[in-house]
Amino acid sequence: MQAKWKAALIWLVLAVAGFYLINELIVVGVINAFIENMLVTIGINIILATGLNLIIGFSGQFSLGHAGFMAIGAYATAIITQQMSNTLGFYLSLGVGMVIAMLVAVVIGIPTLRLRGDYLAIATMGAAEIIRVVINNLKITNGAAGMYNIPALANWPTVYVFVCLTTLMIVNFARSRAGRAIQAIREDEIAAEAVGINPTKWKLAAFVMGAATAAIGGSLHAVYIQTIAPSDFGIMQSISLLIIVVLGGVGSITGTFVGRNRARGAGHGVAAIWRAADGDLRLSPDFDYGVQA
Amino acid sequence: MALLTVTKLSKQFGGLDAVADVDMHVDAGELVALIGPNGAGKTTLFNLLTGVTPATSGKVTLTTASGKVALLGKRPSDIAKLGLARTFQNIRLFSKLSVRDNLQAAMTHRYHENFFAEILRLPAYYKKEALVGGWTDALLREFDLTAVADLDAGNLPYGTQRRVEIARAAATAPRIIFLDEPAAGMNPEETAGLRALIEKLRTDFQLTVVLIEHDMSLVMNLAERIYVLDHGKMIAEGTPAQIQKDPAVIAAYLGGGVHA
Repeated sequence: MQAKWKAALIWLVLAVAGFYLINELIVVGVINAFIENMLVTIGINIILATGLNLIIGFSGQFSLGHAGFMAIGAYATAIITQQMSNTLGFYLSLGVGMVIAMLVAVVIGIPTLRLRGDYLAIATMGAAEIIRVVINNLKITNGAAGMYNIPALANWPTVYVFVCLTTLMIVNFARSRAGRAIQAIREDEIAAEAVGINPTKWKLAAFVMGAATAAIGGSLHAVYIQTIAPSDFGIMQSISLLIIVVLGGVGSITGTFVGRNRARGAGHGVAAIWRAADGDLRLSPDFDYGVQA
Repeated sequence: MALLTVTKLSKQFGGLDAVADVDMHVDAGELVALIGPNGAGKTTLFNLLTGVTPATSGKVTLTTASGKVALLGKRPSDIAKLGLARTFQNIRLFSKLSVRDNLQAAMTHRYHENFFAEILRLPAYYKKEALVGGWTDALLREFDLTAVADLDAGNLPYGTQRRVEIARAAATAPRIIFLDEPAAGMNPEETAGLRALIEKLRTDFQLTVVLIEHDMSLVMNLAERIYVLDHGKMIAEGTPAQIQKDPAVIAAYLGGGVHA
């Protein structure tokens, strides 16, 4: 009883301290607009990558379709905030985006999660492309030109709070009954079934949960960047997120935070080469069971 | 009373009759052994009963508190929930999870956790975790695994991994436990330990045990009834003493030259 409150309190203090630190640094001018912009982008990518890490690292399902769910969140926000350009509209759109992304994840997940490894990666990649092509051709999403003049309804504190909330939710999910079930499936699906774990159900749960966080990331992206286009949510975006997850260490949440910074510093084009050169700098012990997981 | 009844169970792999018209029954509280030469279909029979492999034809019925349930066609996870647990011939542990997590992963169907309580760490979550923690600690003690509880299962010695696998099967709160060659690759000392463990499953856990084993001294000492499988067919059934004298069994094991 004591230990659990102590741990919760430490995390709360850390989160609040981090908030004040960034706030002070902005006030005294150490963090200028450029760095602030970078920090927010990092934050949004942490949200996206933590969700992907739940799918790839914890449940062991190699999904390359994360950008598709991000697009759903982004477009839900862009469309709804056009009509309701206030904070309420933003939070409403966030919820709508999450619900749609979760429904789409169920529809995509039920057939594709039967596949394994590379086959699943290609199927999810295809599903994300379908989402992008549909958005590209709808009138309500303004087609290939994308949507602009999205009201700026998120600033860095909003993103900071969402980073804390989504991370907390994912970590808690991964360290509970659900987390044990999905990790058992990752380790050995046949043995997991033999101890009463229904793989379809739990893989889908992780996939849907990951999709919901991707939608949150997409919504924040839309109101922060204020301009979105279908081409932002292509396969390269999914791969960038995958790079963050793999660089940080598959199945490691702290690694996802660090990996985000490293992937950004390297630039996505050279990240693969850099990763090889960076081998001895890795911070996460479980780095090496990476891509094939 | 028959807990598990198998009638005319068959499995064909292409033209091969891996299991052909097998009839068997297991009574509550019994220790039944299943023996036979390599390739006789013993593991296939286990796979059919636990739903890993779909059967070609036949019937498997489990007697539960709420009546008889047909097992064929059910998902392996649903069969496990009905109380059939198993171990595997080539150990299948969750290697990168700790021993504790291995056991707890096998308990997921024994309790329900609310999703929001889980992700928001509400009091209900801690209540459930305490309950599961209690079950786990008791099992770890029973199987003498407390010392290795927090080590990754994949890094343990072979004999201990076998024990973890049996403990994990027991963690599902089963009625019947199927052990697939638990003594394979064990030294005599470990086999003696295993024997004590199987006795414990029956006395302390009140489990019905079905055992595939090649170690004949273990089988003859432990089993109350033995089924002998050869080329997919059930060729004999009886007590250890009867099986040892059965001409069909001797022919299956030592060669079938005695047709005279």
